[in-house]
This record gives sequence, structure tokens and C-alpha cells, in this order.
Amino acid sequence: MSNHRLLAMFKDFDDAFEVVDKIKGKALSSVEIDDVTMMSPIEHPDIDEKLGDRPSNIAYFTLMGAIFGVTFGFFFLAAAQASFLVQPQGGKPVIALPTNFVLMYEMLIFFAVWTTVITFLGMSGLLSRRGTLYSEKLTVDEIGLVVEVSDGDLESVKSFFKENRALEIREEKV
Amino acid sequence: MSQVIQDKVIDEKLEWSRINADVIASMQSPRRAYWVALAVCIAMLFCAVAAEIYQYKYGMGSAGLNNPHMWDMYIATFVFWIGMSHAGTLLSAILHIIHAQWRKPIYRFAEAMTTFSLMTAGIFPMIHLGRVWNLYWVLPYVSDRGIWPNFRSPLVWDAFAISTYLSSSALFLFIGMIPDMAILRDHTTGWRKKFYGILCLGWRGDDRQWRNFRRTYMLLACFLIPLAISVHSIVSSDFAMSIMPGWHITTFPPYFVAGALYSGCAAIMTLFVALRYFFRMEEYMTLNIMEKTCKLTFAIAMVWTYLNLIEFAATWYGHNIYDKELLIDKATGPYAAVFWTMIFCGMVVPFTLCFQKLRRHMPSMLVVSILLNLGMYVERWMIVAPTLAMSHQPHQWDVLWGTVIQWAIVFGSFGWFGLLFLIFVKLFPCVSMYEVKELCFHLKHEIEEEEHEKQHAAKAKAGATAGGGASPAGNPGLEGA
Amino acid sequence: MSLKNILENFSYYRRDAEAGGHHEYEHRFAMAIDLDICTGCNACSTACYAENNLPVVGKERFEAGQAMHWLRVERYWDEIEGDYPEQGAKMIPMMCQQCGAATCEPVCPVAATYHTPDGLNAQVYNRCIGSRYCSNNCPFRVRYFNFWSYYEDSWPEPLRMQLNPDLSVRDKGVMEKCTFCIQRIRNAKDKSQREERPLVDGDIITACAQACPTDAIVFGDTMDPESRVSKAWAKHQIHRGPVTAKKQKADEEIRGYRVFDELNVDPSVMYLERVRDTEV
Repeated sequence: MSNHRLLAMFKDFDDAFEVVDKIKGKALSSVEIDDVTMMSPIEHPDIDEKLGDRPSNIAYFTLMGAIFGVTFGFFFLAAAQASFLVQPQGGKPVIALPTNFVLMYEMLIFFAVWTTVITFLGMSGLLSRRGTLYSEKLTVDEIGLVVEVSDGDLESVKSFFKENRALEIREEKV
Repeated sequence: MSQVIQDKVIDEKLEWSRINADVIASMQSPRRAYWVALAVCIAMLFCAVAAEIYQYKYGMGSAGLNNPHMWDMYIATFVFWIGMSHAGTLLSAILHIIHAQWRKPIYRFAEAMTTFSLMTAGIFPMIHLGRVWNLYWVLPYVSDRGIWPNFRSPLVWDAFAISTYLSSSALFLFIGMIPDMAILRDHTTGWRKKFYGILCLGWRGDDRQWRNFRRTYMLLACFLIPLAISVHSIVSSDFAMSIMPGWHITTFPPYFVAGALYSGCAAIMTLFVALRYFFRMEEYMTLNIMEKTCKLTFAIAMVWTYLNLIEFAATWYGHNIYDKELLIDKATGPYAAVFWTMIFCGMVVPFTLCFQKLRRHMPSMLVVSILLNLGMYVERWMIVAPTLAMSHQPHQWDVLWGTVIQWAIVFGSFGWFGLLFLIFVKLFPCVSMYEVKELCFHLKHEIEEEEHEKQHAAKAKAGATAGGGASPAGNPGLEGA
Repeated sequence: MSLKNILENFSYYRRDAEAGGHHEYEHRFAMAIDLDICTGCNACSTACYAENNLPVVGKERFEAGQAMHWLRVERYWDEIEGDYPEQGAKMIPMMCQQCGAATCEPVCPVAATYHTPDGLNAQVYNRCIGSRYCSNNCPFRVRYFNFWSYYEDSWPEPLRMQLNPDLSVRDKGVMEKCTFCIQRIRNAKDKSQREERPLVDGDIITACAQACPTDAIVFGDTMDPESRVSKAWAKHQIHRGPVTAKKQKADEEIRGYRVFDELNVDPSVMYLERVRDTEV
């Protein structure tokens, strides 16, 4: 049995949220709220509240990157200094902690930032092809809702969207 | 009129499709002044390239440097450009974290300014090296001879700090632009469509992307603030970590950071006026935003003034003979004219920002912002040069005004920065479209809410009067109507 | 391996100048210069030019402050009333002070200047990238930078024949400074090694000390208590290391001082104050 993916376009957030609320209230037997994807030109502040809890764990990776950066920084610098004894003294010790702290701080930020960005690319699903269902109006002012339904429910879902002021409905086979 | 409406930085009724259209149109057909500015920048850059070729071939002596003046305007210019780069972080990261909405239409070009002024600044330590072809020796790479750079040197810290800051701020700029790239991919044609199609990394605007996007943006902003502070503290360490009078000063790191934010804000004002004109952005870069920028600049100017005066006071009361003599010499010696220019431009000129009439008058703001930046440039020069001119050893006292080569490279750096910046604003939207939409969206809701409350309050009042003088304390949100 | 190295030797690597640093010094070369018998004749400076392949830069570059005199004789004037104001002239030969806690060393980004076990502040020309930070951080301003390719016109043929083969000729873009004639130190060490005897006072003499007609410059090793320089330092109550307290000069005969001693850079050159006949 094959599935269909539907993209319904709405005029604004109010219309879209109305539909989301209805789906939450089990208006459709075949669609769960967790399967609904909302596409929008801007980020609505209430989007999390409406769609339910969908966690984003980037900060953990950032923390890992930061911890790695600072430990790597210390050992890298200390190892380099301890193996390079023919070096300027100026009365300073070989492993000079105050100066190494400065560089450890920079390395902490460097690794934290890069891990954050790389994790973001992975977690947000950028750079991956996920269907061709898209409308250029999504980057103007319209809001889209994407749901995946089985062939049997296709017509009922479509008509549900139409009843709820969907401006346009696009579909594709999965 | 209510506070919200009076202070609103943009017309909230702007159609979202118009925002797209306006910004895209601005990128495609700027005013003629844009092309003039581009040509001027290329010409300036050409001067610098010619001068640098000469200097590379014949040595640093062609810059007029000599024994006490081992560093001069190159390092001053380096500090100046690093300073400029801090305003972008201020506007995009700090104001992002404190939810200052008015930053949204102007933070994009401020961030671009950060990246490009860092790229300009990074060039100066290179061209001022005697043997620039050995530059990579500063990098900590594993060598079979077991040789490492000297991690104690503030110059190595500079290399670390600048590369971290440059990559982080470039990533921050890029991440913040992804949704706009998607807009451009959808609404342009030809090579631009392909170009933005690659850069938007397949942005579709679904909730998962937005959620992670917002998280990432906030995390990066949180890292960028301490990073920016550390970068300029490290630049100040180039001086503060030394033993020289006038450099070895405890207040240098905060003083440098304040100076950086100050010159950066002044540069934002200059570019604000220029971009507003070049790209017909009057509706987006509104006078209200300019006013807020001016107020911010004024506040930072006062912080800088305070730190500057406290530095003088500390030097005076510290009574270290070398430091004190140097301070007196700065104010009365050969560099006196430059020193008092700095005092005038840095401490007196910002008071013009107190007048609303002036704040809303673009040509005078252009002049004021350029004066502020001039003040900040000579401030850096007054940090570098007089110390070298009048340090511990009186036999080696000397005053240096630079040669044509040196001035040409300094001058050309403005061309290089301008060129990068102008190319950027032509290729990428200098106004963040999706965030202007967000701004309009929130503003609309705020105004609606306020009106709603007002009606509610009026109703309650009417009810209260009818009821015979009940306490008005039960009317929350009734203020300044 | 290096982790083990760090852990095992951590306290050793953390020793700073007050604790003696991580160097075990073999020698600590130093100087004593008596300004009372210095006549300011500049013979030391000239000898330095000849010994160390210093380029003669010409009038314009000298005026531009780009001269390369590793050892310069600085002139200062005291305002003296009377018939002979020229008597107020003071001369001081100023060269690299080979500081024990040199401020130039920690700021070099590529470690081109470092401290040798001989107590010298060495400059590695090949490693130098010319950031010139060392010179900026030198209170004595005795570091000289090759602003131009001086060698191209400093020694026209046949003057090239006079170059000292024991050390290199520097090209543009590197920093250089007085080395206490490190090539002579090297030769003397080699010689003493060949003859299987320790280095004794008088084995090494720097070009400036050799050329001084009044013997105002004394060079030697302060770790050898019998050397002339050690005795001079002891006599004038100058000690290695940072300044601890301002000493009382009870005796008129004690004239020793180190330039900018208050900066705690531990210079290796002791100067003896000039005694003026107007004061006597």
C-alpha cells in the first residue's frame, strides 16, 4: 500500500493553528498531531506550544564541544611546551598557565561553535532531500501543513483541509 | 498615541510579499552612487596593493619605520578594524539575547561589517611582518623539528583569537542568512537562483528546521559575546602585556572593548546612512532605528570617555615617572594636535547625539559618525605611536609621521573593506527579510493587544464611573494613553 | 608519551625566574663598564661594526633612525654652570643588556629569541619573522631591525672581503642585536674543549672590550667567582636576580648600577657612575 504526502497552504498562522487544534482534537482519525509538519516563512513563537513537545538537543553537543575544546586546549599547549624546551624564557616557566588559559578559552569557543553548527546541519535535516513537496509561497507569507496519509484516507483529509480554508493543496506519492 | 506606536521602528502593515520584493529589487538595482562608491573602493585598494608590492620588495623601511617606531600606523589600523568588528556582535548577539526587536532590520549589514572588518584587520599583522612569507610559523602545526610557536606571545593569542572570531562570526552571519537564502532561491531567476539554491542548504522552513535554527542561533549568540570581549582584550594585551609606559595599563582590556563598541556603532551609523541611500531602504532602515542606534552609541561613548579619563587619572596618581611624562608629552608634545583631535572627536562630538533634530537628520549623522570614527582612529594611533616615540630610553626618542607607502596601505584598507562590503550587499540582502517579517508580525500583535486593552480599560472606566468611583487600580496596562 | 612527560616534570616546568627557571646555567656572561674612564671615543662601536658584519647604512637611513649600531654610545648633557659647560657631557655605551628575565623573549610569536644556558639572550635569525614585538618591548631599545636589504650596498667590492666569516650577513626582515660576540664565545669554548681545560677568565674578549683604549669595558662570566667581572660586581654590590631593596650606598667608592634595574629585567651589564670633578 502506498502513501501520499499532502501539503495544504493557509493564509496565515491563525488559520493554520485552527487546523492544528482540530487535528489535536482528533478531527481526523488517520492523522496524529506528531505527524504534522508545519512550514512557515517566519518562526511563530507559539509553534512549540501548538505542535507539542519536539525536543532539540543541540545544546548537549555544544557542551561536549566546549569541554573537548578546553581539555584539548590544555593538553595540546602543555604537550607542545613541554616538548619544546629551547624556547624563550623571559623568566617565565615552561608551561605558563596564565597565558595558556587565554588560549584554552579561545579553543573552548572555537570547538563549541563548530560542533554547534555541524550538529545544527545534521539535526535540522538540512542538506537532505525530503520530498519535493514545496510551494514558493512558503517564503512569502503563507503557512503550510504537511501530513502523510494512506491512499484510503486521502480524499477525506483533502476535504478536511478544504473545509478549513486551505488555499491550495499539493500532493505527492511517497 | 501609545508608547508602542510612537516607538515603532517599522510600519507593521508592510505586506510580506512587498518586503521580499523590495529587498530583492534593492539588490538588483541600486542607485548610481553605489557604483561610484564601488569604483572609489577599487581605486583605493589599488593604491594599497601597489604600495604593498613595493614594501614587500624593498623591506619595511619603505614604510618609514625606524628603531623606536617598530610598529606604527599598521598596528593602529589593525586595532581600529578589530574594533569595528565588535559592533556587529553587539547588534546581532547582545541585542538578540536581550530581545531588542529594533535590531532586526539592520543587524545583517552590521554582522557583515564584523566579518569584513576582521578580514581587513587580519591583513595588517601580515603586511607589517618583516618576512611575511614565513607567516605560517605562527600556527601551531606539528613539525618534524619539534618547533612550536611561543604560546606566551600575545601575537600568537591574536592569531588564535582572530581565527576563532572570524570563523565564528562568519558562521553566525551565514546561519542567520539561511532562511533569506531560501527566499531568494524561490524568488529570483538565472544564476542567482542556482547560487542561492546551493547556499540555502535545502531550507524548507519546516518546524524542525526553525526550532533547531532558533536554538543554534541563540547558542552561537551566547558564544559570540564572550568571544568578542576576549578578542579585543587579547588585542589590548598586545600592549598591556608589554612593559612600555602608556601600554602597560590595567584598564586596557575594558577600555579597548568599550572603544571597539564605540567605533563599531559609529561605523554602523555611517553604513546605515549609506545603505539607506544606495538601496532606497527608507522604509526598512527607519529614522526610529537610527535614533535608537544613536542613543546606544551615545551611551557607549560615555563609557569610553569614562574609561579614558580614568586611565589618565590612574596614570597621573600612579606617579610612575615614565607613564606620567608620556601622558604630559601626549597632551603637549609633538602629537598634541592629534591627541586633542581624539579628545574632541571622541568625547565632545558624541554630545550632538543628544539632540533629536540632529539624530533624525541623515546628512549630519553621516558627518557626526565619520567624525566619531576619525576620533577612534586617532585614539588607536595615540595608543601606539607616542609610547614608541617617548619610551624609557630618552636617547631613542623620535617622532614619526609615516611615509606615502604607509599611508597608502592604511588608506587602501578602507577600500578593501568597502569593496568586500559593497559586493556583499549586492549579493546578499542587507536587510534580513524573514526577521523584518517577524518584527512586523510581533508589532502587529502588540498593537492589537494594546488596542484591545485600551478598549477594555475604557469599558472598565465607563463601568466604574457608572458604579460610582471604584478604584482604578483594577485596570492593568492603562498607561500613557 | 608527552602526557607522561608533563605529569612527571610538571613542577619542574612550572619553575619561573625566581626559582631559577628550568635552565641549569653553565655560564652567565656579563659586563662591567666604567663610565668614569670611558672617553666616548666610539672605538667600541666601530669594533662592533667590524666584528659583527654590521651594515653601514648611509646618511639618509641613519637620519631616518634605521641605523644598525648594535653598540651605540649615547650622549647626554648635564646642565653645568661655569666656564666649561661641555663638562656636562655624559657618555654611555649602550648595547643589549642580555637580561636574565628579558622582556623581549616571551613576546616573540615564533620563539626566535630565547635564553641560552650561557645566560645570553640569543636571536635566531632564521626563525625570525619580523613582527618586531621584541624591540617594542625592550626598555633599552637596543634591538635593530633590517628595514632594508642593507647588504646590497653596504659593502661594495672589495669591501666584501672584510666580512667576518664566523657569522652570517642578515637580509631584510629580521631582528638583530648585540650577541656579546657569541662567535668568539663559541671559538673560545671549542678551544678550551680541545685543550681539555675549563674556560678561564680572559679566554673570551668581546670586540668592544678589546677595542676600548681605556679598558672601560670588562667582560666575563659571573658564575666564575675569580673573574674580573665577578669581582667588580661584588665590589659594587650588584647581584643577579630581581631588585629586592634599594641598597644604601655608604661608600663613595660604590658606583655600580644597572640601567632600568627597577623594571626587574635583571640586566647583565653593570655600569659604574661617572665621578665629576665638579662634585669632588
